Amino acid sequence: MERLPRGRHGLSPEFVARNQRERLIAGLTAVLYEVGYQRTTVSLIGQRASVSKSDFYKHFESKDDCFYAAYDVAIDRIRERVNSACAKHEAAEWGPRVRDGIVALLTLLEAEPPLAKLALVEGLRAGRGIYDRYQAAVESFVPPLQAGAPEAPGGGPVPEATGEAVVGGIASLLGRRVLAGDTEHLRELRPDVLRFALTPYLGAAEAGRIISAG
Amino acid sequence: MKPTRPELPREFVAVHKRRRMIDAMAALCADQGYEATKIADIVRRAGVARKTLYDNFDGKEDLFLAAFDATVTEAMQAVESACEDTGGAWPQRIESGMAAFLRFVAEHPAAARMCLVEAMSATPAASARYDGALRQFVELLKQNTPAEADLPGTIEETLVGGVAWILNQQIRRGETERAADLLSELSEFVLSPYQHVADQQFGTARRK
Repeated sequence: MERLPRGRHGLSPEFVARNQRERLIAGLTAVLYEVGYQRTTVSLIGQRASVSKSDFYKHFESKDDCFYAAYDVAIDRIRERVNSACAKHEAAEWGPRVRDGIVALLTLLEAEPPLAKLALVEGLRAGRGIYDRYQAAVESFVPPLQAGAPEAPGGGPVPEATGEAVVGGIASLLGRRVLAGDTEHLRELRPDVLRFALTPYLGAAEAGRIISAG
Repeated sequence: MKPTRPELPREFVAVHKRRRMIDAMAALCADQGYEATKIADIVRRAGVARKTLYDNFDGKEDLFLAAFDATVTEAMQAVESACEDTGGAWPQRIESGMAAFLRFVAEHPAAARMCLVEAMSATPAASARYDGALRQFVELLKQNTPAEADLPGTIEETLVGGVAWILNQQIRRGETERAADLLSELSEFVLSPYQHVADQQFGTARRK
């Protein structure tokens, strides 16, 4: 991220503060990607963001505090990208909507490995506070998946746990791939993830049709 | 004659102590989490000397990993033998394996929390162990699913990940003892990708 001009730049203090905060969040995301949670320090974050240590503490109480903020920003970005891909479809078109949401997810994560690592890997490794956030983030994808979902292929409602298991299963698969350093191949998982997510709701034949139509 | 306790074989005592330390680790982790659990708490709860702990384990993490491994081995054995004992077709084998797994979780709430919640984030070595355990269950599921399903190679990985997540949630909600209630939903979920093969093989429009 560009640093602001030094000296008398005529920028409002609010603008400078917001910009610093954003730079620190970007800085943490980058440093975390390179050295992992344990070795990420306030100094490294500050250096990367070109923000002094004392300014760091004007925005955040601690490394963890900055981590939480970065995590929330990361999840918001992912959710926004997925939602806007889904929003292109009418609510009635459940299959194509979910398909496009998942493809948007894979595309974004593949394009931004630091984001993928923060959201899916580091979110599990940094203690209780962040674990709760990881949990809430995964859960937040369940209602959009279940919204307007069809009945099970054999009739009757799809079991309640299915939505949670689908979202949790995708997070688990992607997390393991990111951890293994395979982020740049996430989009190759498109047919796999789609087959996994759509089949419980649509059955094999209809899921296959929607996957190849996209 | 002096009334003394019959002396137990030394090896028996050693195994028993090791077991107590492992159980204490699981119980403490369940109560307060891995991070907050201290060596002093473990030896107190297990009723062993600090030295005994260090004779058996390098330290807290080593003990955690041993406790994790012991639990996974037991759970795996329970699931494997349930699959084999059924003697039925693959959908029945999967369903009994699932039933055995859920029963194991319900009967070992502390160990289940340690493996399905704490291990994911306790330490890097613990999360690697967690990953390895998932892989074992993935392999077991693969052995029991029909090869002719023509599904992506990752399907079992996502199914196992999904089941682990559901149990993680169930445990975190404090409903570990009721894990068996999830049997029909989770069996249906795990079998759903293979339903078309079941339809062909058994001519059932629906499993139930």
